[in-house]
Amino acid sequence: MRRLAPVLHVLGLVILIFSFTMLAPLLTALFVHDAAQYAFDESFAVTLVAGFALWLVGRRWRRELKVRDGFLLVLLVWTGLPAFATLPFLIYAPEMSFTDAYFETLSAMTTTGATVMSGLDTLPPSLNLWRHLLNWLGGMGIIVLAVAILPLLGIGGRQLLKAELPGPIKDSKLTPRIADTAKLLWAMYAALTVLCTLALKLAGMSWFDAVCHAFAALSLGGFSTHDASVGYFDSPLIEAVLIVFMLLAALNFVTHFLAFRQRSLAAYRYDPEVRGVLGLVIASCLGISLYVWQAGVYPEFLTALRHVSFNLVSIATDCGFASTDFNTWPIFAPMWMLFLSCVTASSGSTGGGLKMIRTVLMFRQGVRELERQLHPAARLPVKIGGHAVPNQIVFAVQAFVMMYIATIVAMTLVLLASGLDFVSAFSAVIACINNAGPGLNEVGPAGNYAGLNDFQTWVLAFTMLLGRLELFTVFVLFTRAFWRG
Amino acid sequence: MSPILPVVHILSKVLMLFSAAFLLPLAISLGLGDGAHLAYDEAIATTFLSGVVLWLLSRRGKRELHTRDGFLLVVMIWTILPVYSTIPLLLHMPDLSFTDAYFEAVSGLTATGATVLSGLDSLPPSINVWRTQMHWIGGMGVIVLVVAVLPMLGVGGRQLFKAETPTPMKDSKLTPRMAETAKGLWLVYALITVICILALWVGGMGWLDAIVHAFSVMSLGGMSSHDASMGYFDSLTLEIIVMLFALIAGISFSTHFMAFRMRSLLAYRFDTEIRWFFGVLGASILGLTVYLLYKGYYLDFPEALRVASFHTISVATTLGFSTTDYNVWPYFAPLWMLFLSSFIASSGSTGGGIKMLRAMLLYKQVYRELIKLVHPNAAVHTKIGAQPVPPKITYAVLAFLFIYVASIIIMSFILSASGLDVFTSFTAVVAMVNNTGPGLGQVGPASTYAVLNDFQTWVCSFAMLLGRLEFFTLLVVLTPVFWRK
Repeated sequence: MRRLAPVLHVLGLVILIFSFTMLAPLLTALFVHDAAQYAFDESFAVTLVAGFALWLVGRRWRRELKVRDGFLLVLLVWTGLPAFATLPFLIYAPEMSFTDAYFETLSAMTTTGATVMSGLDTLPPSLNLWRHLLNWLGGMGIIVLAVAILPLLGIGGRQLLKAELPGPIKDSKLTPRIADTAKLLWAMYAALTVLCTLALKLAGMSWFDAVCHAFAALSLGGFSTHDASVGYFDSPLIEAVLIVFMLLAALNFVTHFLAFRQRSLAAYRYDPEVRGVLGLVIASCLGISLYVWQAGVYPEFLTALRHVSFNLVSIATDCGFASTDFNTWPIFAPMWMLFLSCVTASSGSTGGGLKMIRTVLMFRQGVRELERQLHPAARLPVKIGGHAVPNQIVFAVQAFVMMYIATIVAMTLVLLASGLDFVSAFSAVIACINNAGPGLNEVGPAGNYAGLNDFQTWVLAFTMLLGRLELFTVFVLFTRAFWRG
Repeated sequence: MSPILPVVHILSKVLMLFSAAFLLPLAISLGLGDGAHLAYDEAIATTFLSGVVLWLLSRRGKRELHTRDGFLLVVMIWTILPVYSTIPLLLHMPDLSFTDAYFEAVSGLTATGATVLSGLDSLPPSINVWRTQMHWIGGMGVIVLVVAVLPMLGVGGRQLFKAETPTPMKDSKLTPRMAETAKGLWLVYALITVICILALWVGGMGWLDAIVHAFSVMSLGGMSSHDASMGYFDSLTLEIIVMLFALIAGISFSTHFMAFRMRSLLAYRFDTEIRWFFGVLGASILGLTVYLLYKGYYLDFPEALRVASFHTISVATTLGFSTTDYNVWPYFAPLWMLFLSSFIASSGSTGGGIKMLRAMLLYKQVYRELIKLVHPNAAVHTKIGAQPVPPKITYAVLAFLFIYVASIIIMSFILSASGLDVFTSFTAVVAMVNNTGPGLGQVGPASTYAVLNDFQTWVCSFAMLLGRLEFFTLLVVLTPVFWRK
């Protein structure tokens, strides 16, 4: 209780603040008179009261949070908020099970974008807005998580990024630092979202769709207001706009911020990840387009390029929009896209997976070991952006990557044992752990996650959470050392 | 020329020695009059003569080998001996392509056990003896490789095992140490093989079958003289004998040697891998038995236990015998078995995969990282047994695992891009890299690798060599740095 109570106090506050975000869909519902209005009334009230109660109860144990409390807080925020976020769905659609509703909201807040809902086109606009708003809020959380919290906790070699944070960060208390960082980056995030909305509107979307898709694109969530996703619009212009903003969201927001403050693009040049992200994505787009075109899926290369670019960027950045059923392409293409989703997104972005910086580090470490075979006594530092990386961080990154792979293998085996076929199980786990969204086969872009049974749904929900919280945040809570002392 | 010549000199001696290996099938062929003896005559002549020619050519470059030469020597032996091993196969079966014959020979010498041949039952007995004798010779090579050569080259943290090798090895020259270690271990290996032959013969096999299968089991290869593999005999006694010897071959031969020298079983208690080896296998067998019963594939417990234990042991130790087509089981079961094959075998055994010791180290390293998150300033050491593991070795092991996983991913992609389905590609690569033998899907236990086209066959041959030579040995030779002065 001594460990838990102060954290619950803060959690109460977070829930309290979170309840106000329900006002946006509530106002929308009032404005367009859709059927979900009362759902938001009640949800708002329940969440507000619950948050307040928790805050009140925990007040007695109030103290400054320590680094170690961070693990627990992060986990509770990311599991607690989705629980409250299910309320509008459960009230509006009583036939929806809690399992499915929780999967949907967790998918939203981890910006995964996997959905169990169909008939999105006929859903009340307020509910659709709520889904996308959750995406967007999740993205805000992730930016803080990735840029401020995880480095502080030292998850999987994240210390590497500490030096890059804007603002004074020498002090070790959790709260002031997060607040500082958050404000600056959220401003960037919000500004880009507004730009994206305007661009989408100009490209031909309605205001409502533009807002929703901008939310989903910047958070790399990938929800859509249409069952056919972006394929509904069938517009190369909209796809191009989304590609640009997805790529922006897959870069480090700290770099965006620096570039903005310096009014120069030099910041991108010094970011060790930018080159990797863009290089890998562009090379893959060209390669896969050629492959798909050669395989005769599309008669013209340009058509192939259009569809491949959009879907590949969408999956590689862990967004998850789809403009066509890429499940029908020769299997190499979608598998490659899923592979990219593991490695492409930058460390300070809203994307998921290993993150480009870890990919680069692992690659360099592999090369170093090869060289070490030949020169056992040589001192060969691993360098990122001109700086030697301390061995301890290389260690942490290696352990993280191995844990990541082990988790994929373990979760795939669990899903297989529960009766799913190999490609569905494997691709669903990859898509969920990377917070990408659609997998293949049963859970492919043309289907959704509704076909899974309750057990499988929970496994995948857990997988999304693990991926988003970078594994160790969750696993550390299962060690005895965490709860002692 | 200077780095190559001394290596070629040794290679020429190995070739001359290797030509003597054809004597056993030649004798059997002559004894039984099976009509294949001409093939061995020519094989002996060609191999021996090439040895002599190379020896004469390289005589001038003779010098003591350095560590660096070790990489080249190992790679050359493991790629060139299979070429000569194909001679009897090509001569006897003129319609066999060189690609397929080379695959068969590599599969033989790396003790993988994957085959492209069918109609094994009607092949001349001497050819079948030759196929499994390659296994057995390969097994001898593997033992020296894993116990003496790789630790000295420092491949993938193999230095860790230096302390465990049975002879005094403070001196750093390649040849005397290899010779010393080799003699002791080969003695044990040969002795156990003889016992295995006798046991199989007593268990009801003909003496020819007993030799063939004992060769196969002790090297954890997996080729058989029957298309139906061990299913041909349908004998519980034989299956138990095979399981027993597969388990023995899956344990480090250094440990066997120690036990043999000390005339006591104490050595097994100090082997850190054995507990995990039996623990994981035992749990998996019970689990899979229950799973198969639950899914209704077998109706009574003893029957399910029999197939589950035989196949789990056979696949996990990377042997690869089968008594039934486990490809038809629910995918979880065979995939779990393949998963085990990637790490179950002990570090000094004839099995493949990453080896149990590396898996243990990985587990401990990940746990250490978790503890470090809670206590960032604590000095936590990774220990194996009671010995702390130097960070340098942990590094090397983690880099090894990364290369292992990356290789599997890359080669699966290559196979699936060449037109194979994902499931077959993935399981084939895993089965090749672990030197297990049968994969799943199109290359399952009931079929052969003959379905692959030439390109895919070469990729698989490469994968077998990569796995057997523990990645770094082969990859180092392929780097430009290796060839620079």
